[in-house]
Amino acid sequence: MSNVTAQRQETTQVSRVDRFVGAIREHWFSYLLFLPTLLYLVFLLWIPFFRGVWMSFHEWSSGGANPTWVGLENYIYLLNWDPFYTSLQATLGFGIATFFQLVLAVAAASLVANLDKFKAIVSTGLIIPYTMPPVVTGTIWLYLLDPNYGPIFGYLMEWGVISEPIYWSSSGLPALSVVSGVLMWTFWPFMFLIILASRESIPDEYYETAQVYGSNRVQTFLRITLPQLKSAILVALSIRLVWNLAKVSQAFQLTQGGPGYETSVLGVLLYRFAYSDGQFGMGFAVGMFLLAVTIGFVALFIREFEKARKEGSTA
Amino acid sequence: MSSATASGPLWYQDRGDALFALLKYTTIMFFTVMVLVPLISVVVVSFWSPPEFFGAGPHIIPQEPTLDAWVTAFTGFQDNLINSALIATGTTALALLICIPGAYVFGRQEFPGKEWGFRVIMVALLFPYILLIIPLTDTWYGLGLFNTIPGVILAYQVFVTPFAIWILRDFFEGLPANLEEAAQVFGCSQWQAFYKVILPLSLPAVMATGFLAFLVGWNDFLFSNMLTTGTGPRPAVVTLYLQTVGGESRYWGLVMAQALIVGTPPTVLYMIARRHLTQSFAV
Repeated sequence: MSNVTAQRQETTQVSRVDRFVGAIREHWFSYLLFLPTLLYLVFLLWIPFFRGVWMSFHEWSSGGANPTWVGLENYIYLLNWDPFYTSLQATLGFGIATFFQLVLAVAAASLVANLDKFKAIVSTGLIIPYTMPPVVTGTIWLYLLDPNYGPIFGYLMEWGVISEPIYWSSSGLPALSVVSGVLMWTFWPFMFLIILASRESIPDEYYETAQVYGSNRVQTFLRITLPQLKSAILVALSIRLVWNLAKVSQAFQLTQGGPGYETSVLGVLLYRFAYSDGQFGMGFAVGMFLLAVTIGFVALFIREFEKARKEGSTA
Repeated sequence: MSSATASGPLWYQDRGDALFALLKYTTIMFFTVMVLVPLISVVVVSFWSPPEFFGAGPHIIPQEPTLDAWVTAFTGFQDNLINSALIATGTTALALLICIPGAYVFGRQEFPGKEWGFRVIMVALLFPYILLIIPLTDTWYGLGLFNTIPGVILAYQVFVTPFAIWILRDFFEGLPANLEEAAQVFGCSQWQAFYKVILPLSLPAVMATGFLAFLVGWNDFLFSNMLTTGTGPRPAVVTLYLQTVGGESRYWGLVMAQALIVGTPPTVLYMIARRHLTQSFAV
């Protein structure tokens, strides 16, 4: 009885090895071309990631001199540390700003797609903020919003709208609004690009047919445009959400994460630990929380991606 | 004609059209203003002279236009701009070397483990790469890659590769199905079918991908700030950032000239690659 099972196990093992060798022999060309990608995934992504996880259990300063094992202490410290919750709140604010980006992108894309002339010029112009380095757009807005010499407060005061400039970087909500606003201004064109491309691939016949059946513009937008854009919107939203959470150069540049920790989204908090304090272990522990927030979106993204692909292949 | 009867009397439809047109152009105008007015005011201030900047209050036309800020900015940034160009070019080359073959097998070949492999790449696409600055910086110290151009180029692959593979794969998949078989009938090997037939056809998508990789190499701040110091190959973006930390108010005319110098190359490249990009972004 047990002999038979053992034998069976042996044969499946042999056939598994056989299959493996057979697959390599038959598909060696594919595997060869896949090799650089595989090396990238292993050496630049997964090994550094697991090394980071290991670092997060240490008190590990930059330069790596004498790391000491502290177990879960970094994590426990964070969970008992008030600024960590301020940071979570700011991260939520960042997430909400992403939805505003989406609204801007969908509105602009559906209108630009309807333009008869200048479509190329207008859409190219709208994308300029995204093509420039975020540090450049951050610098630009630092000037525009400079309370003493910037044109925005300059004009507002000259026109008598306000009597003195707002020192936005010194209190929480204004600072967070400025950071999210600049983030929005810089990155909404990415969504616009994806959504416009998909909007333009909707066949004109759909709209002609809808018109024949007497539907008005609001109806065509709700019944044709939006459903057709669904997968583009989901892809753009999830990529942007995840990337916005990881993209911290502007928040770091505009406010250094302050005042206090008011604009330190999780990414900025990580960066402050790593870059400003040289506390690599603690920084990566923050990163693990950021990862947890992100995983939710990843799951959603993969599901939609697979679904869109299946729909695409059956069509 | 059927549309006119279906959506009611003609005058009603005309009024609706006019209203829609009004709304459409107002909104598009709003978007254009939102993007262009900040950019224009930044360009303008870079031509002011310091006394004009500190004394004249808000205005638009420079009173005594001068190129001083631009000259100072350019001389100060020269070395860093060269660093940026080298890093961005290297990032592009390495990214294409990794991604073209990778995307090709996922777009056009069948092999065991394909689904699984692609899923791993999709996870990488959505990986919050900011986490990796910590272990990479630490490892780069040890490997002697810290503060070197190859070190930065290698680190940038972390976030260029998944996105590039994703875009390229879609393009490869969209090419006609039997191209390779046809090529092999004419005596090409698998390898020749790939680089003599598929690759030339994919030039638009390859350009788009190359552009995106260059954009990352030129634009990124997180990795380059972390992985370089003042004695090493510090790229222009980091130098620009350092101009803005510290004291509250400064002579912004100069900083704006610096910002525009750093921001122009990727924007111009975008204008050139735009047509190919739009195709590649359709989901």
